[in-house]
Amino acid sequence: MSASEKTRRLSNLAPGASGRVVRVMRENPDRADRLMALGVTPGATVTVLQRFPGVVFLCDHTELAVEPAVARAIVIEVE
Amino acid sequence: MPCAQAAVREPAADPLLTLRARPRRIALVGNANVGKSVLFGRLTGQYAVVSNYPGTTVAVTTGRAIVGGQVCELIDTPGVTALEGVLSEDERVARRMLDGGEADVVIQVSDARNLRRALMLTSQLAPIGRPMVLVLNMADEARAHGIVIDAAGLSARLGIPVIETVATEGRGVGDLRDAIARAAVPSFGGARRRDHARLAHDLAVEYRRHRPRSAARLQERIGRWVREPVTGLPILALVLYGMYLAVGVFGAQTLVGLIEGGLFEQLVNPGATALVNRLVPWAVVRAFLVGEYGVITMGLTYAIAIVLPVVATFFFVFGFLEDSGYIPRLAIFSDRIFRTMGLNGKAVLPMVLGLGCDTMATMTTRILGTPKERLIAVLLLALGIPCSAQLATILGILGGVSFFALVTLFGVVLVQMFLVGFLAARTIPGERSEFIMELPPIRWPQFGNIVRKTLLRVRWYLGEAVPLFLIGTALLFVLDRLGLLAELTAAAEPVVGGLLGLPRDAAGVFVMGFLRRDYGAAGLFQLAKAGELDGVQAVVALTVMTLFVPCVANFLMMVKEQGMKAALGILGAVTVIALATGTVLNAVLRGLHVSF
Repeated sequence: MSASEKTRRLSNLAPGASGRVVRVMRENPDRADRLMALGVTPGATVTVLQRFPGVVFLCDHTELAVEPAVARAIVIEVE
Repeated sequence: MPCAQAAVREPAADPLLTLRARPRRIALVGNANVGKSVLFGRLTGQYAVVSNYPGTTVAVTTGRAIVGGQVCELIDTPGVTALEGVLSEDERVARRMLDGGEADVVIQVSDARNLRRALMLTSQLAPIGRPMVLVLNMADEARAHGIVIDAAGLSARLGIPVIETVATEGRGVGDLRDAIARAAVPSFGGARRRDHARLAHDLAVEYRRHRPRSAARLQERIGRWVREPVTGLPILALVLYGMYLAVGVFGAQTLVGLIEGGLFEQLVNPGATALVNRLVPWAVVRAFLVGEYGVITMGLTYAIAIVLPVVATFFFVFGFLEDSGYIPRLAIFSDRIFRTMGLNGKAVLPMVLGLGCDTMATMTTRILGTPKERLIAVLLLALGIPCSAQLATILGILGGVSFFALVTLFGVVLVQMFLVGFLAARTIPGERSEFIMELPPIRWPQFGNIVRKTLLRVRWYLGEAVPLFLIGTALLFVLDRLGLLAELTAAAEPVVGGLLGLPRDAAGVFVMGFLRRDYGAAGLFQLAKAGELDGVQAVVALTVMTLFVPCVANFLMMVKEQGMKAALGILGAVTVIALATGTVLNAVLRGLHVSF
């Protein structure tokens, strides 16, 4: 199975689902830098905690809250 | 050049306490909310305000500490997420300080649960070439999460001391003092080609182990309850109601009743009046001290008897919420609303802090991402967020009118803030930043820290607000004596009486309101108590007062943060909006024959 079949956007994961960050889309470089500084880098494990009213996910041991557009930019490989 | 540097750093032979011409400077640097200020307090014995959310420290603080028999200068800095790339204001300040060689030793403070992020920063700090110590703080929480870090191995790899601490309990602080003497320039030079993330990831994988851990702790379950809408919104309602009970009922009614009604009306004011009348032969001086606009009977009574009890209760409750980690979670619920106002959920922090003090909150707008966001936030703080002192008087007056009156006031103010924010988002040039926010862990607040914070803030209120109350009273006294107050009242009559439908005396109250709006509101409190305000008048007067610029100090802070032009613009806009809103509200309430 190729990796692309298993990749999803963070915004599409159901609460409870987890996976590894593959990359952060760079259409907005500032966003990618900020996420990186908070630990959202390739290889990091993330778990979605909730999707509404904002997306909340766990990255390592940090809880992060982001708006939907940001969650759409994070590409995840589901385990 | 290396020799010269080494000579400066070389510790002197071995006297017990070495004093140098310029004390050794030690900087605390690290991510936000990792406990830098707690460590600062532990090392210096000075208290710096600490809370459980990022951005509590907005300015560089320095203090003295004795480390290894030497008097050192310790520098506490605001949290940074990065030192390379696109930097925020705070990060640029930190970067300049480090590049300028102002710090002889850098203590990087980190959250042991987030080793990867800590190491990303270490990787950016290493090339600067200052002697370093890495502190893995909150080691207890990391252990509870099943995280085990090989500190010795990591220390050998980085070439700097790595110390585990629990700063809030003082654990490991002794080790840290010892380690500062061993601070070394990192032997690893940081990541190649700025790939700090890769390096940090690899190091974290190598030196961190995860142990299987028991079921979710209660704190985590609470964290889930407060952020999920089904449970979170009822909890928010409960929190607000709890605050109302504590501040509005206990503070504004019970305590104020005891202190103002009991202590001041029964003892202090009659006592002072009797004493002054006996000792002071000059009528003018007597009136100045204990007359209608007397410094004691009016100024001191307002400041100490009416406002202080509520401010103190509020600071206490607020300190509890700050330290619990609850406030940042409100950002999740408010993000959508703030986005339509050109902000994002993060703005909830300065807005809620504004309920404590708008001046401080205006400074906290620095945590927001863009100049546009900062300007809008400063504007909204000035316009709609009543500070604790003002909440005091609002609750004191309207608590006695009706619950519906309170709802009307806050409803009008919120709608007004939303409208202004909505328009500002569309007229002020610039961008908003995206909502990306770290949620601090839910913690049990430490009673001692809340008490210390409350006392510090009360002392600050006494130093900041009380003099203004007294100056304001003196100003009113002079205006009254010169007959100018009557002229001013007459001149304001068309607005105060005509448009707003308020009694003539309210004009003097608005003069006070320009100095501090809580002071003006305290004047309304007296008017209401004298039975000179009906329900509608109370609501209209308080709404206008709430929409005014908070106080002189807040205005000066706006000038400092946004410049004179923007500050004057905000002042003008806010005053016009306040009066216009009051006019419309008065007309509507009268038109509908509402009585509260």
